[in-house]
Amino acid sequence: MATWVGGLFLGTAIAYTLAAALYLVSLVRGAEGKGRFAAPVLMAAATLHIAYLAVDTLAHTTPMQGIAQTLTFLSLGIVLAFLLARLRGKGIDILGAFLTPVALLFLMGAGVGRSVDAVSPDVRSALLPVHIGVNALGIIAFALAFGAATAYVIQERMLRRKKLGGIFQRLPPLDVLDNFGLRAVSLGFPLLTVGIVSGVFWVDPVESFDISPMHGFALAAWVLFAGVLLLRMAAGWRGRRAAIGTIMGFLCALGVLVGYVMRDTGVS
Amino acid sequence: MAKELVLVGLSHHTAPLELREKLAVDGDAREALLKRWSEGVAGEGVVISTCNRVELYATTDDTLSAEQRARALLEARLTDDERKSLEGSLYIHGGEAAIRHLFRVASSLDSMVVGEPQILGQVKEAFDAAKSAGTMGSLLGRCFSRSFAVAKRVRTETGIAEGTVSVSSIASQLAKKIFGELKGRKVLLLGAGEMGEAAAKSLANTGAVLRVVNRSPEKARKVAAECGGEPRGYEQLASEMVQADVVISSTSSDRFVLTTELMKDVLRGRRHRPIFLIDIAVPRDVDPRVGSMESVFLFDVDDLQEVAQENLAQRRQAALAAERIVDIEVAEIEAWRRTLDLTPTIVALRERFAEVVHGEIARSAKKMDLSDKDRKALERMGDAVVKKILHQPLAALKKSAGDPENAAMIAATRALFDLGKPSEYPPAPERAPGSGKLVPDES
Repeated sequence: MATWVGGLFLGTAIAYTLAAALYLVSLVRGAEGKGRFAAPVLMAAATLHIAYLAVDTLAHTTPMQGIAQTLTFLSLGIVLAFLLARLRGKGIDILGAFLTPVALLFLMGAGVGRSVDAVSPDVRSALLPVHIGVNALGIIAFALAFGAATAYVIQERMLRRKKLGGIFQRLPPLDVLDNFGLRAVSLGFPLLTVGIVSGVFWVDPVESFDISPMHGFALAAWVLFAGVLLLRMAAGWRGRRAAIGTIMGFLCALGVLVGYVMRDTGVS
Repeated sequence: MAKELVLVGLSHHTAPLELREKLAVDGDAREALLKRWSEGVAGEGVVISTCNRVELYATTDDTLSAEQRARALLEARLTDDERKSLEGSLYIHGGEAAIRHLFRVASSLDSMVVGEPQILGQVKEAFDAAKSAGTMGSLLGRCFSRSFAVAKRVRTETGIAEGTVSVSSIASQLAKKIFGELKGRKVLLLGAGEMGEAAAKSLANTGAVLRVVNRSPEKARKVAAECGGEPRGYEQLASEMVQADVVISSTSSDRFVLTTELMKDVLRGRRHRPIFLIDIAVPRDVDPRVGSMESVFLFDVDDLQEVAQENLAQRRQAALAAERIVDIEVAEIEAWRRTLDLTPTIVALRERFAEVVHGEIARSAKKMDLSDKDRKALERMGDAVVKKILHQPLAALKKSAGDPENAAMIAATRALFDLGKPSEYPPAPERAPGSGKLVPDES
């Protein structure tokens, strides 16, 4: 069983790498060449990923426990959410170029975190799966928003500098990216809020008021996303500023996950 | 001798519009022309007719008379004066050159705007029209269907269709890049002027709502009527700017019309909704400092023209790569065409030998009272003998394909073995999946 798990993990990682590379090719060279295989390869990768999770669950612990499982779930969630979102409009297809690397990054993080994935028993509670699940869904939403925001910033910059070459031609319209990002952030924000509150008060009461870098990152992400939404509603902030806020928010959320991986692998 | 291809036509490269529009044929007229062409000669024929070209592709046994007939068909549609100007406008290509021309036309390499997408549809239309007129045969059929594949290759493997090249289409393309769907978006046209109106029209055509502001109310009404928009008073400029998504400015003012002060107010009212300013006035209407304000995208005439130039240069670059693809494809179809004369002869020769051997075996089998099994064994042996005997002569024939003496060798073979005259062409070979090479139909 263990070789199966290892093999599937490796296969999934390779498939994601391939999909990410193909998306980058289609971003730079256009979706007509080799890039047209990006989406099918990504679907294949997701299938492998599901198989990996299934086999791993049978062989291992229950899912959603420990940072490794959370990260693999996250990575799959991002991919599935993207694949679903692109069903609704081919226009955002190219966002795969930004999202697939994020999914790959999470999967790699899971690989690092695999060695130690037992959650210490004193923080194990009935609410732990809820806490992890809600946060994971939130991060998936933010990852989608991050992809859109990155594309927005790149495209806006090219438009301002009047560099309207290959990549510019292939990105979706600014307005589409802006709306997509907003929707993803408004979806992720309540989830993140519940996630943080559940973490502070129910799951982690022992460490709750001891501000670790992880808590700092979580708080920063929350403040940033709150700012993005609030300023948009109150002052109509959108476009570049909202996109930069979204990117920073996602990076902070990423910081939380990095913190978990480091703690669980004993680096810190 | 297989039929030769011939192309007689004229295009925007060689003929003025007045002549082209006289010769353009469509629907029934095209069918009539094709029928008249094929009357009596039993040749294939296809007519490509667009506003930029009229071309007749045909197969013939006699290239010279075919050219004359084609010319006569075209001249019949013209007055005497026009016939004279036709003289210098016609181009005539035969064989490989005709195929190359077709491939270049279908790939939009010969178009007025290189890379434009309509031409492929028009070539397909010509193909269908010839089919329904009954003048499509195996040779032109293969050349045309190959031309579609070549066009697709050129389109996907080179950047020939990328980037727009006119100011008004660049403006609407950029607007789409910023706002996505333009339907229901508000476009404000400031001032009059040909280029501004053209850009406004092309935006209004995509479903945007157009408003026109001008210092003179009459002019605003006039321009609005022409472009399909609503006139607005000049005093409403600021409030219209607050609502607009795209502003095209082409006034004749010699001072900035959209100053930073005005824009600051406008932006405050817009709550950071992005605004796309297109300044096609010379001297400029929009203070260039406006371009660095948040949520403002400003393009002036030079910016737009630079984009057009870049896109054109890119297309020219892509056209070079496209010509190489055409070269390869022409070489492939030529290789196939060279075997056309040969294949029927080879087939006939094999059939003739097999016929003799099988006939003799059948007679002997009856006399000798052979069992089915033994007879089959004999037949196999006979086939093997035929194959061995024919191996050398067939190899020599194939080797000469395309050489000048090939026709003589074919004629000699046919005479020696009494094979008669060749009938129709053999079926076109299919492409082996993935190989990209033609599969030889004889092996």
